[in-house]
Order: sequence, then structure tokens, then C-alpha cells
Amino acid sequence: MALGSSNIPWIFKYRPRTLSDYIDQEEAKNKLIEWIKRFPNTEYKAALLYGPPGTGKTTLVECLARDLGYEVVEMNASDFRRMQDIERIAIASADKAGLFGRRRLILLDEVDGINAKADLGGLEAVLRLIEITRVPVIMTANDPWSPNLRPLRNVSLAIEVKKLSEGNVVKLLKKICLSEKIECDDEALKEIARRSEGDLRSAINDLESVARGVKKISLDYVREILGYRDRERNPFETLGRIFSARSARAAKAAAGSSQLDNEMLMQWINENIPAQMQDPEDLWRAYEALSRADVYMGRIVKTGNWDLLSYAIDLMSAGVAMAKKSTERRWVSYRFPEKIRLMMRTKEARGVRDDIARLIASHDKISTSTAKNHVIPYLMIIFRNNPTEAAKIALGMKMSDTMIEYLAGPRAKEVISIVKELEKKIPSRESVEKKQVEAKTEAKKPEQQPKTRKEEKPGKGVGLDRFIK
Amino acid sequence: MAGELVQLLWTEKYRPRTLDEVVNQSDVVARLKVFVKEKNMPHLLFTGPPGVGKTTVALALVHDLYGEGYRRYVLEMNASDERGIDVIRTKVKEFARSAVVGDVPFKVIILDEADNMTADAQQALRRLMEMYVSTTRFILMANYSSKIIEPIQSRCAVFRFSPLSREDVVKRLKEIAEKEGVNYEPESLDAIYDITEGDMRRAINILQAAAALGKVTVSSVYKVVGLAHPKEIREMIRLALEGNFTEARERLRKVMIEYGLSGIDVIKQIHREIFDPEVKIDEDLRVYIADYAGEINYRLIEGSDDEIQLSAFLARLVLLGRKLGTGK
Repeated sequence: MALGSSNIPWIFKYRPRTLSDYIDQEEAKNKLIEWIKRFPNTEYKAALLYGPPGTGKTTLVECLARDLGYEVVEMNASDFRRMQDIERIAIASADKAGLFGRRRLILLDEVDGINAKADLGGLEAVLRLIEITRVPVIMTANDPWSPNLRPLRNVSLAIEVKKLSEGNVVKLLKKICLSEKIECDDEALKEIARRSEGDLRSAINDLESVARGVKKISLDYVREILGYRDRERNPFETLGRIFSARSARAAKAAAGSSQLDNEMLMQWINENIPAQMQDPEDLWRAYEALSRADVYMGRIVKTGNWDLLSYAIDLMSAGVAMAKKSTERRWVSYRFPEKIRLMMRTKEARGVRDDIARLIASHDKISTSTAKNHVIPYLMIIFRNNPTEAAKIALGMKMSDTMIEYLAGPRAKEVISIVKELEKKIPSRESVEKKQVEAKTEAKKPEQQPKTRKEEKPGKGVGLDRFIK
Repeated sequence: MAGELVQLLWTEKYRPRTLDEVVNQSDVVARLKVFVKEKNMPHLLFTGPPGVGKTTVALALVHDLYGEGYRRYVLEMNASDERGIDVIRTKVKEFARSAVVGDVPFKVIILDEADNMTADAQQALRRLMEMYVSTTRFILMANYSSKIIEPIQSRCAVFRFSPLSREDVVKRLKEIAEKEGVNYEPESLDAIYDITEGDMRRAINILQAAAALGKVTVSSVYKVVGLAHPKEIREMIRLALEGNFTEARERLRKVMIEYGLSGIDVIKQIHREIFDPEVKIDEDLRVYIADYAGEINYRLIEGSDDEIQLSAFLARLVLLGRKLGTGK
């Protein structure tokens, strides 16, 4: 992986390397060490590590191998298809171990993923492997009671890897925060731990999602960011299936079975296309497809015609998947949509900017969009370069302190203190304060007629209002 | 009042309040004064580029019709800030419900940026104009009369506002500068006109911002304009043409989120940028980019997602950059 250290996902960066780093699973650890040390003089030639996702089953095997000098031969479900392959691998592992003096162990990750129907003969092959192996076989599974695994349970030492307690998860997250120099409320970490339900991997992923680009994490921020994650179960899995699909049908099926709503799925795809499509032609084809999907989504909103949804899904899934022609397949981690994170992080600032735009719009009789594009930039120049003039404008337009902070940025304190001084010099301060309150209401309701000094007087000689009901 | 202690935007402070104070658009003003005299008028449609005084003249007209308390007889709306024709309809209904008795027998609804309404919404607006014609008059404003449907145009007296001349703009800037005690180089006011052409609002905004930096000079004027327009757009185009999609998209996010530009604002700025002689790219490339920018602009108007569409645009630039080279 040609990744800079800052790009390494935290679940890899903070993965324990040695058995002494591997904590909080003492029972499982000791059981496994004892078994492998006595191998082959053991009752079973295979061990089955079982426990919920993200509790460290694979990591335990890696630490064990490193500390005790084993080389890990990893196999996955798709390798189990042919009996003769299994035999070849099993024998080769044992032979090579003798040749180079380095012991080997065979790791079969996620054996409950073996589909009894699709991988016809898969279970049989695993059983055969355990029968003939001369090196230790370690299997991992989430659900040991899955009917698929019944035959395997009989021939292996079952070792439970327990769900981590909330306290342990918090402790580990704290360590990461410390080493990443992130300030994090205890309550925020507890919230992440609580949501993870003992799944450390998802807790670390969540922490990384939340922490990207910020230095301080509060409980509210965690709730806001992770609130989004709750609605979708596993975006990473959906993305993986779409980006690696080899047929249009497979890509479509992945999108169809996703828990994400379609808008959100498009944002996830949008975020991750650039990392997946290195080649400009691929990049362009993927975006052509995704942007067309988005056009269909827009038409659905506009016309209320939900028949169009399936075309949108075709393009965002199959369209994107089939775009990949020249880019080499490589492993890249998936990222949470940056747009959504930024939108949440800047919600407050955008709210203030909208308030300023409405204030300007009502003063200057323009649309809020014109105010944002053609007036706010000039106001910012004034507020960041000439605090005195800025303070006068802030008073004249009855701006709140938060508006001044937005416009003046680093010089906000200067401007606000000048405003305070000027206010003292203005004869009736109360009336100014009253106006400030009015200004706030005005800013919220642009449709209200702004009342300025002159117009508060009744119009001379017109007096039509008494005819108006 | 503590006049020297508070300040406003000069565009607001120096906005003419009456038709007599309006110094340019003399043809338009002369015709409108007839309405004031007769205390009657048809529906009006003001067309012309931004910053030439359409809103100012409309407000001055109602001021002259009703006097200082004109606001209670006037409903001001900006079509681009109202959420659809239904909101407009409700407001118009409420405002126009009551008949007016007096020397001016109608109320006035000013609807700015009416050309931002869809053709369907304009049809609904046309019906409103007919329904309430006994109690109200509409003053519609638009940049282009061609974007207003025929049936509305035919119900309105159309007034075309011409761009302001260099003389008018410079004279006005000079008046404001003198009233505000601004220290300025005379050439700087010409520079402001060169940049803004006939757009008085932008011209005044630039003057006010430049004055805040100190003496107004040609270079301070250009500095202000540079500061006000995000450099990121140009950088974004360059990065994409060089093949750096990820960084180009970071710039895109920056302008949209930090500067608060909408997707349509961004694509319009891109469009301006690519024909800027300072942007050194292949001439063919300018045309290809313009074509795709138009497509994206259309999709955004249709309600597509800003970031996805603009990412697609950047991906297109990456590809064009590779095929045609960045030109420099």
C-alpha cells in the first residue's frame, strides 16, 4: 500500500502488533497460545475463533504469528472450490515450513461466509484440509451456531472472542485521541463506544470519521455526524460491491440491496470515485454516469415520477462500475462524504451568512443571492481592513456580534469593541438595543417590511390606512 | 442623530429617494412622472442589466405617488427569494384583498428578478395580475425582457433601462467620494467604471471597499476586486486541466462552503474565467468548456446536485486537459 502515514486508516494504524499490545481478551489469547504451543500434540488440529465483528479475531492471529514466528497463509472462501487445490495448499504449507525453517499456520477468515449452496463442496474441502494438515489451522467466524459450521465445530477447538465492554472501547479510543492530539470529551467517546456495541473496529472507524479535520470533538458533534451513519448500515460494503462489480447486474444488485437512501449513496459514490478511478477516461465515464443519475433524481423531485428511480440507480451503480476500464484494481479505503461533513461543520457559519444576506437584502432591495455574491465579499474587505468603518456599518445596519464575527474574522474583537465604544456615544442606547432586536427579527423574516427611521412617521396627507381593513 | 457614528452601505445611503433625484434614465423618468401626475398607471415592466437603477426608480416612483409613508401601499418581493409561485400568490392575495379609496386608487406590488420565474410560474403570475387589477398594479423587473412571457409583456408598459454611461458613473462616484471625504486619485474612478461598466451598484461597492483600505488608487481598486473574487475558481480550472482532480475538487468545496457560492454561481464564474485573456488556454478548449458549462448550468437549474454536477464538470476538464493540453 503506497499510502502516507496520514492516509492510513486508523484501524490499521492502531492495530496491535504484538500479543502484549493485544489486551482485554486475556482468556481467548491464553487459550489460543496454549493450543498452538502444544501443536501438533493437541486434541484438535484446528481452532475456531468466534465472536461479533470488530472484536479482534484476525488481529489476534496476526499478533500470535508475529510473536511466535509463524508465517500466515491466508485463504478465503473462494479458494475452497476445488478439492485438489486444498490438498496442494495444505501439503505445500507443511513442506515449505520444513524447507525454510519458518513455521506456517493457515488462516481461514470468516468461515461462516462460506455459502453452503454457492460454494458447493466448500465445507467439505475445509474438513478435508483439517484432516490432512500438518500445520495449525485457525478459522474465524461471527456466528458459531450457524448451521454451516456444525461440522466444523466438531473438529475444532472453539474459542470465544468476547464483545468489548464500553469501558474498554473508551479506553482504547482515548489512547488514539492522545496520539492524534485530538481533544475529545469523555461523553463524546462514550457515545461512540455505546453506538459501536462492542465492535472496536466500527468504533475506531467512527472516531476517524468524526475526527477528520477537527481538533476537538464534542458530544453534539458526534451525535450529528453519526446520526447519519445510523440510517445506513454498511456503506463500505455497498461501495465495495459496486466498485468491484464485474457485471452491470451485480453492481445494480449491490445498490438495490443497500440500506442507504439513494441521495446518500450518490454522495458516497461521489466521494470515492476519484480514489477508484485513477485513469482520466475512467474518471470521466464514472462521472458522466453519476451525473446522469443525479439528473434523473432531479427529475423525480420535479415531476414526482418515481418510475425514473430505476434509471437513476442503473446509472449510479452499473454506470459507475462499468466506467472502470484502465485503472488497475487496488485496495483503497472508502471515505465518508466530505461534503456532508463540511455542511455539518459549517452549518452555523452558513446560517450567519444567510442572516447577513437577508439583512443586506432588506436594506439594499436586492435578492439574498445578489447580497451573497456581490455585497458580502466587499463587506468582508471593509470588516477585515478597517475596524472603525466596519463598526460604524455594523451599528448602521444593526448587526449582531455573530454577524460581525463572520465578516471580520480575525479582527472581530477589534470591531466589536469599537462598536461598544460608539454605542456609548450615541444618545439613547436603549433605542439602539431595541433596534438590534428588530434587526434580528427582520433578518429572519425578509418578507417583513423593514421599518427605518423615516417611515415610522405616518405618511403626510395620505392617510389611506383607515380605509384599509 | 449621531450621523458620524454610524455608516451604511453607500448603495443604500446614496440611493435617490425621488424621481427628481434620479439623474439618468431621463426618458424613463419623464414618462413615469406623467403617471405620478395623473395618479394612475398600468402594470409596468422594467428591463435592463443589473445596477442601472430599476429598483431605485421603482421605489422613487411609489415614493412620489404616495409620499413618505409609501411603504404601507407597497409590497416588495424578490422572485429569487420567494419559494415558488404559491408563496407569491398567498402574499399577493393577502396584500391585494382590500380595495383602496383615495387619490391613488391602487396599491403597488414590486416584484424584482421576475425573469428568474419559470414560464409556468409566470403564467400564474399573469392570472394574478388580471385578478387584482382593480386594486393593485405590478412593477416587474427583469434583466432580459425576452425571459418574460409574451402575455405578461403585452399587459405591461415596458421600460428599457440602458447601461449607465462612463460620465454618469464617474460623476456619481465623485459626488459620493466627496460627501464621504474620501481621498482618491481621479483615474481610480475611471478604473472602477472599466471594471463594472454600467453597473452602479458594483461601482459603489468597490469604491466603499477601496476607501476602507485608505487612499483610493487604481491599484487599490484592482486589489479590492481581486480580494472580492475568489482566486480558487481560476486555480480550480488550472488544477483540473493539469489532471489533479482531487485538489481541484477541494477548491470547489472551498468556494462553495467558505464563500457560500451556489453551484450556479460557480459555473457562471467559470464561464467568465475561461474567456478571460489572462487565462492562457487553447482557444478550442474555451469553446469545449463553455459548451459543457452550459449543460451543467442547465442541469443545476433543473434541480440537480451542485457537487455531483460540478465534479462531473471537473472530470471533464481533466480529460480535456489530457487530450488538448493545458495550453501553457
